[in-house]
Amino acid sequence: MKYEPPLEKISVNIRETVLGQGEKSVKIGGENTLPFHSFEGSLPNSAGLALEVLDTQPENWAPSVLEPFEDVVSDPVKWAKKCVEVYGAEMLCLRLLSTDPMGKDRSPEEAAEITKKVTDAVDVPFIVWGTDMEDKDAQVLMQVARVCSGKNLLLGPVVKGNYEKIAKAALEHGHAVVAQASMDANLTKELNIALCKFFPPEKIVVDPTASALGYGLEYTFSIIEEIKQFGLVDKDKMMQMPILCDFGGDCWRTKEAKESREQGILWEAISGITFLLAGANLLVFRHPESLKLIKEMVI
Amino acid sequence: MILIGEDLNVMTGEISRVIKEREAGPIKECVAGQTKNGMDYLDVNVGPVKKDPQGTMEWIINTVQDVTDLPLSLDTTNPVAMEAGLEVCKKKALINSASGTTESRETMLPLAAKYSTDVVLSVINDAGLPADADERAASIMDSAAFANELGIPNENIWVDPVLLPIGVDQRQVTSYLEFIQMLQDLLPGARSTCGLSNLSYGAPRELKSLLNRTFLIMIGRYGQHSAIVSGFDQELIRLIRGEVPEIVELIYRAMEEEDLDLSALSQKELEYAKTTQVLMGKSLYSHSWLEV
Repeated sequence: MKYEPPLEKISVNIRETVLGQGEKSVKIGGENTLPFHSFEGSLPNSAGLALEVLDTQPENWAPSVLEPFEDVVSDPVKWAKKCVEVYGAEMLCLRLLSTDPMGKDRSPEEAAEITKKVTDAVDVPFIVWGTDMEDKDAQVLMQVARVCSGKNLLLGPVVKGNYEKIAKAALEHGHAVVAQASMDANLTKELNIALCKFFPPEKIVVDPTASALGYGLEYTFSIIEEIKQFGLVDKDKMMQMPILCDFGGDCWRTKEAKESREQGILWEAISGITFLLAGANLLVFRHPESLKLIKEMVI
Repeated sequence: MILIGEDLNVMTGEISRVIKEREAGPIKECVAGQTKNGMDYLDVNVGPVKKDPQGTMEWIINTVQDVTDLPLSLDTTNPVAMEAGLEVCKKKALINSASGTTESRETMLPLAAKYSTDVVLSVINDAGLPADADERAASIMDSAAFANELGIPNENIWVDPVLLPIGVDQRQVTSYLEFIQMLQDLLPGARSTCGLSNLSYGAPRELKSLLNRTFLIMIGRYGQHSAIVSGFDQELIRLIRGEVPEIVELIYRAMEEEDLDLSALSQKELEYAKTTQVLMGKSLYSHSWLEV
């Protein structure tokens, strides 16, 4: 008798989300099987890998993560170009750090103007990220949505306290959003339900707030796994969104990363591959070498 | 189903104050209300009573017994207060609660043996709360064997599988369901109880009772003997006393049928069906479970 390996066929898909526009647009998600289970189902899109760009000079960055960008950190447009042209990034994450009300407190108008310039300069898809300040993020991202109308940006983080404002602007101007609920599958579902009352589910990416190795990576792993299982195995429609992990900041804060370039890069790469194994669909990297390592491993 | 009214509880500020000031009126009112609503037992939760445990317990039990003939569930972590209460109880009391921890084995369980009372025995042990149904089984077998050795028969043991809030850990709710179905095979003759309100801790206020009611019907079907509930939740009482049989029937169907046809249901029925599905673990809980 011939041995037939038992296969688990799943009848539903993680939603496919398109980011950006035109030839360089990127698709994430779309799988109908668990991570890397290509023997059981289809994984039509490889994970999205983005490099980070700040809208202002980084402060307190470890020397070895600053080094690749040293000549461009004073200009986000040049920084973005270098990421794409030199480091081959297929997607970028523009972090609007200067809007932080506890820091430079730049206005939504200024932030939107910078975002427009940067996103006009290179044609890859963009994640545009606030500062985790609910109210300010709402003002900033609404303005960004308007000024960059039609660019299909991925705006985030969108949380319980500001999702209505940001998602309405995103809907009106053709962008996607990142729904963020911290390390909790129930709250992830809750926010998705609330969003889906007026927002298309295929334009939502979820962020469980990833913690890198040494910061609670195990918890992140479990939450990502849970979200995927609920979505695919239990067929929960509100849990079938692609998952984003943003963890470069954690990695490069470690003593090990500050002391050694190699350790920092590995720290970031190990965290990233772990999240992919759990089921993440979109990763944000700080160091181009870490991104390259992951790319070599999985793509 | 034996219903134990939970409302006489020191955790509510008002009761705490009147106990301290020995003001009998509000206590009597609370007791009379729950008795009138058809509770079978009343829980008297006095907390750890650090000050004058003996006098406080005697006073409150006598005050309660002035207005009700119902048997009482004595709820304190202080063994001195517990014993003082047992001394003055007119009916066979329920000690609420003991557990498998060393401390509880040394202080609470001997009282249950000495006074031949009933005792709530939770599945908690020195290692904490068991993670699943099998671990609950192992823990309770061990603790019950210890209790039996002290001379407490299974019939006096009211097992508490420990109900956690569904918003905290949905899997613990499903392992509760799994465990309660095993209980009679594990400990023939033993009874069971739980703190029902804990299930909906953290849930939206207006939906708490729906979760509690639905779950109580579900575990009743699996042989649950009793539960500690709000003595003022009229809808729960009506449901559990069989006055709304069509809803009970619907909950049973939602427990069994994989693809229950929701389209034919009224708004109220739909709420019960969705709640049952979420409590069975068929869909992931979120505070807006009724909206999907």
